[in-house]
Amino acid sequence: MDGTTVLDSLKSQFPDAVADALIDSQPPHIVCANVDKGRIVDVCSYLKDNLQFNRLSGITSVDFPEATKFEVVYMIASYDHSVVVKLKADVVRDESPSIDTVIPVWWNANWYEREVYEFMGICFDGHPEMTVLVLADDMMGEWPLRKDYQEFPQTTAKYPYSDDQESVVEEKYPLEWKSWPTERHYLE
Amino acid sequence: MPKDIRTPMQIITTTTGAIHEFLKKSPAQDVINWGRKNSLWFMTQPMGCCGVEMIAAGCSHYDTDRFGIIPRCSPRHADVMIISGYIVRKYFPALKRLYAQMPSPKWVICMGNCSISGGPFYRSYNTLQNIDEIFPVDVYITGCPPRPEALIQGFVELQKKIKAKTDKGTIYGVK
Amino acid sequence: MVNKHDVKKRMRQLAAEYIHEPQQEAYKLDDTEMMLHIGPQNPIQPGPFLIDLKISGETVRDSKLYMGYGHKGIEKILESMTYIQGLPVTDRICYLSSLSNNEAYVSSVERLLDIEPPERSQYIRVIMQELSRIQSHLLGTGEYATDLGFVTMFLFMIREREYVLGLIEDITGARITHCFPRFGGVRQDLPDGWREKAIDVLSMIHEKCEMYKELFSSDRTYKMRTVGIGTLTKEDVMKAGLTGPSLRATGIDYDVRKVYPTLVYPDIDFKVQTAENGDIFDRVMVRVNEIQESCWIIEQALDQIKPGPLFPDELPYGRRTPSMRVPPGDAYVPIEDPRGEMAMYIVSDGTDKPYRVKIRGPAFALMQGLPPMLENVYIADVPAIAASMDSCNSEVDR
Repeated sequence: MDGTTVLDSLKSQFPDAVADALIDSQPPHIVCANVDKGRIVDVCSYLKDNLQFNRLSGITSVDFPEATKFEVVYMIASYDHSVVVKLKADVVRDESPSIDTVIPVWWNANWYEREVYEFMGICFDGHPEMTVLVLADDMMGEWPLRKDYQEFPQTTAKYPYSDDQESVVEEKYPLEWKSWPTERHYLE
Repeated sequence: MPKDIRTPMQIITTTTGAIHEFLKKSPAQDVINWGRKNSLWFMTQPMGCCGVEMIAAGCSHYDTDRFGIIPRCSPRHADVMIISGYIVRKYFPALKRLYAQMPSPKWVICMGNCSISGGPFYRSYNTLQNIDEIFPVDVYITGCPPRPEALIQGFVELQKKIKAKTDKGTIYGVK
Repeated sequence: MVNKHDVKKRMRQLAAEYIHEPQQEAYKLDDTEMMLHIGPQNPIQPGPFLIDLKISGETVRDSKLYMGYGHKGIEKILESMTYIQGLPVTDRICYLSSLSNNEAYVSSVERLLDIEPPERSQYIRVIMQELSRIQSHLLGTGEYATDLGFVTMFLFMIREREYVLGLIEDITGARITHCFPRFGGVRQDLPDGWREKAIDVLSMIHEKCEMYKELFSSDRTYKMRTVGIGTLTKEDVMKAGLTGPSLRATGIDYDVRKVYPTLVYPDIDFKVQTAENGDIFDRVMVRVNEIQESCWIIEQALDQIKPGPLFPDELPYGRRTPSMRVPPGDAYVPIEDPRGEMAMYIVSDGTDKPYRVKIRGPAFALMQGLPPMLENVYIADVPAIAASMDSCNSEVDR
């Protein structure tokens, strides 16, 4: 099983859904392909059942605001042979971008998709548990890794962030020590 | 910043509290401070890369046990809280609870650049800087990460501060 | 004077605020069940995370993991720094094995730049990788031994680890966060007299590993607590997508150094260590065997290394230029971290800063596969199982 077999088999099985398929010239000789968004589960099931790609290495996403699209990238590998496949699916960058989940194919896609959702905002249809994984609970909805995220970089190294923003921070993280009793007879 | 945020709470509600306040003005406080400074137990709270150096400082090569310093896992048994690493928004409420669960007198040591002023994660959207505006910090140990010898020197400086009665863990000067 | 009833009322209010609402709704507890938090500050690993266990009596019925207590936003920070400025930041992704993180980053950028380091640099990088693997396994196995109560092993292993850290410090200058490889080579050469010192230290570690294996296998209480507990079958492991020693303990010999060989690994002869059963005992044995195998790899590399240049003669973008521009494209090069397969997917758009860096760490899959392993075990087995997976919280959170 090597890269050319996989490439030809993918092209012949899905002539309409898979486009721009090629093999990298340098090791590890990844087979790259662009996949149509709606057919991703079919392509992944075909890879797992017929070509023994039984390990999902990672799911990630890249933000292209000029081209108004997100790109969801799947890295798929195998325990039985040494070919790696990289699938890219384009999702339109509108109010609610979404794509199908691949949990029915690989069980460990669960946390990868949660992470993509909380950083970029791409919803995965059919996912059992779309909640925060790594961010704090009150940061859901801020999509930090998008290119137009406002609160980065933080340029003043102060807590709270600047003198006139003191009250904003106190609403989120109240400083309880302030509410202790105000009689201060035991201090200088 | 208002002053009251920086000092730990010490309310005199019991007779024992009144006795302690009386002893603080007498020479017996020197003996009490000698006992306290020679057995500082710290809470193992590895939050980041400096946590590994904190663990290594407690083991064979850079032994802290010869100074009386041993690690304890629970905040109820500890005297010193070492903030060893970056402080993340999600962990910050838990950090405040841990500090509140420690019994007085308690001291705080800031270890590493991340707790002092952000370190390499200065620009991040998720880390907090300048933790000394929340906790009363006694010793700052710089480095990324500081060597275990630097941590031991930090403890020795804290011991000197306790002996000279200028630490922030006990409140002197009650009227 | 202050009213102490006000103080107590405030204490009760603070205690009530501490209950995490999302977690209370997630579980519906009946009369025989209790929820136990192994809180963010935990002694299981060097790094905070939260496990909620729903227990009934002494057995665990269900568990849930909450990560994110160490999230620094490294991927966003790397987008605003040049490639060479980002190298010290990648050190701090997983601080227990920081040379592997550097290696993954530098390999991917070299793939984009289309350059290859000369042979002497490749041998030096292989030696550093294996030294990092030795010290990471020693620390990980030591932490695991502490969680069982076997603190003597922890102190033995940390003592050995200090000698290895001394070797690493002679070359790189730092104990934990090294920032040693560069694009096209390494930062500096091996110092004089290092080879003899390394061979002494490695032979000492080889003997000590024999002692560790004998200590582990001859202790009856230890075997009662680890043999047959926390077992993973081959199907479980392949479903969870694990790599690294946790995978090899079930019998599948999958090692990234053999499957996607980089640097000079094809010229070095070594065996992939596996075990049969996949329980806690086997995972620990695989790690101790890997330490011995790494000693053997370093000795071979020190025999085969020849004098030569550290950087190639013509570098397309000048290695000392801080604002080096990288051609557009994307790259993904997997390497073998002490915990599994580590890679960085770097997308570049032709400027001097990366457009997107995605860090694929091995500990993500290890943490994801932990809750299914904790069903119907006793509470006392939970730290043993969690620590024997040897995952690193800061790699999951980044």
